[in-house]
Amino acid sequence: MTAELLAGLAAVLDWQVLAFLAAGVSLGAVFGALPGLTATMGVAVLTPLTFWVSPEQGLAMLLGIYCGAIPAGGIPAILINVPGTPASIATSWDGYALTRKGKAGLALGINALASAAGQLTSIAFLAFLAFPIASFALRFGPAEYFGLALLGISLMAGVSGDRVLQGMLAGSLGLALALVGLDPMTAYPRYTFGLSEFLDGISFVPVMIGLFGLGEVLSQVSDRRARARATKIEIGRVVPKARDARSLVGSALSGAGVGTMVGAIPAAGGDIGSVIAWEQARRTAKDKGQFGKGSLRGLAASCSACNAAIGGAMTTMLTLGIPGDAVSAILIGALLIHGIQPGPLLFANNQAFVFSIVFLLVFACLMIMVVGLLGARPLAKVLSVPPPLLWAGIIVFGTVGSYALNNAVADVWAMYAAGLLGFVFRRARIPLGPLVLGLILGPMMESNLRRALILSGGDWLALVARPIVAVFLAAAVLSIAWPWIRSRRSASRSNLGPPSSA
Amino acid sequence: MVREDVATGGAFLVLGAGLLASGTLLPAGVGGLPGAGFFPQAIGVLMAALAASLAIRGIRHSPTAGTNSGDLRSVAVIAALLFAYLALWGTGFFLVRTAVFVLLALRFLGQRWLPSLAFSAALVAFVHIAFDVGLNVSLQ
Repeated sequence: MTAELLAGLAAVLDWQVLAFLAAGVSLGAVFGALPGLTATMGVAVLTPLTFWVSPEQGLAMLLGIYCGAIPAGGIPAILINVPGTPASIATSWDGYALTRKGKAGLALGINALASAAGQLTSIAFLAFLAFPIASFALRFGPAEYFGLALLGISLMAGVSGDRVLQGMLAGSLGLALALVGLDPMTAYPRYTFGLSEFLDGISFVPVMIGLFGLGEVLSQVSDRRARARATKIEIGRVVPKARDARSLVGSALSGAGVGTMVGAIPAAGGDIGSVIAWEQARRTAKDKGQFGKGSLRGLAASCSACNAAIGGAMTTMLTLGIPGDAVSAILIGALLIHGIQPGPLLFANNQAFVFSIVFLLVFACLMIMVVGLLGARPLAKVLSVPPPLLWAGIIVFGTVGSYALNNAVADVWAMYAAGLLGFVFRRARIPLGPLVLGLILGPMMESNLRRALILSGGDWLALVARPIVAVFLAAAVLSIAWPWIRSRRSASRSNLGPPSSA
Repeated sequence: MVREDVATGGAFLVLGAGLLASGTLLPAGVGGLPGAGFFPQAIGVLMAALAASLAIRGIRHSPTAGTNSGDLRSVAVIAALLFAYLALWGTGFFLVRTAVFVLLALRFLGQRWLPSLAFSAALVAFVHIAFDVGLNVSLQ
């Protein structure tokens, strides 16, 4: 084992491999930071470039992109409320609120540190607990996926703040939008209105860019004060104070745990993991009211979780040969082209290569952390740009990014429609997060419920009899009921309070 | 009455009812297994029930402080510019059209001519290098 470990380290310490890794991290940071460009797109576009180099060099570049893009996706989420990648949706909730409070530097610093904590924790999981985690994920059938999706959707009540009913309505709209396209089981067209562009459903990324990017721009355009706002923005300190940092360790580690587990489950990635981690952190926090309004703990949990999903996804990919998310699906293809078959045999026959992957992930993580910390101040300068220039940039990048996904103008229409919807929702003070949750998790919930029912012969009770499903369903019920229970308790408490407090 | 909640609830109630009705037109499923129409109907019922709750609550409660209506005219102009920009997609000269769109938007939003021209030129150049050249995206 020690010989393989040293061989893996030696392979990574080659200067060419490190140069490919650095190039990958830099490119990944660009892909992550530009709304519309995702880690998946970056890895997919640059995979062909790696065919002409050694497996270590090629994988170094691709893993660098993967590890660089996810933390960088938090940068626009924090600075301009536009998540750079789907995984950084929850990052924008507290990150952008901190920016508005003049703490953009601190938010970017926490993003860099918590992302590194999440990645390193999940890499440790990969190194030491790969097989147990992958075995747990392997026990997931359609019923368990349905339970997981339902739990994710149930979080919409929690992420709605004090607008629970409005948030759940937004979530149901997300579920409704997810119905567009071919029925997942029978391929019957639903709500396509005869248009072939809708057969594949509504693309998630353009909708996200529209809701959070264009919607925010239109909202700021309607605010006369924002247009005339002084452009001198307070960036503040980047590295958190030691006391603050200590208080964030728990949130970052619990986020890392959630992110790793969710990332290990095939098809569930950092986007779901970060929302679950954020809600978990909120639920266990004393200052619940601060979540969504600039909570450092909320930011640390979400940043850590979306990055920890990388290690989780890599664990499932390497041990079982099953992609944990879209990026690892492409990575499997790249490895196969290099003659490497991911799966249990890889651990038996080529341990040195597995260790070199672990070291590559560690080095990539450290590189992006340094880039994140050193680059926080210059990056935050983007806020000094006059707002109209920033808005024009967001619109153009959003437009071109949406189009570039599939070379389809229908995606740009979807982005613009989502932008108008985002603007209307902001004016009506309807939370946007639940809509995104519904849109992501709706197809997963429907297809897996129907598959599970086919397997159980239409017996609904058989679903609940499975222990993992029962736990998920109980957690989902609690998640939906808790805001009401809490409000009732606080109402009854205030009724019992002393007259002077009324 | 909280008009905002009543309006939101009313709009979603109509949407939920429409979803429920349209779901009945889709295949219901066979042998006790849900078909393509099951989820639309379920979501329609959920949406209508939530919307009705919100609307009723809005009718019962007293209004809170009103929100600032904001500059809707500016939003309408930007939306119209966006619509025109997208309607011309595929007609060629993407970079020129984009530069003109950015220039008009910036001028409307009160920016001076020279910075607007410089910014639109720089933005278009970056888009060309990153997407046209770098990623080989066919922008028309």
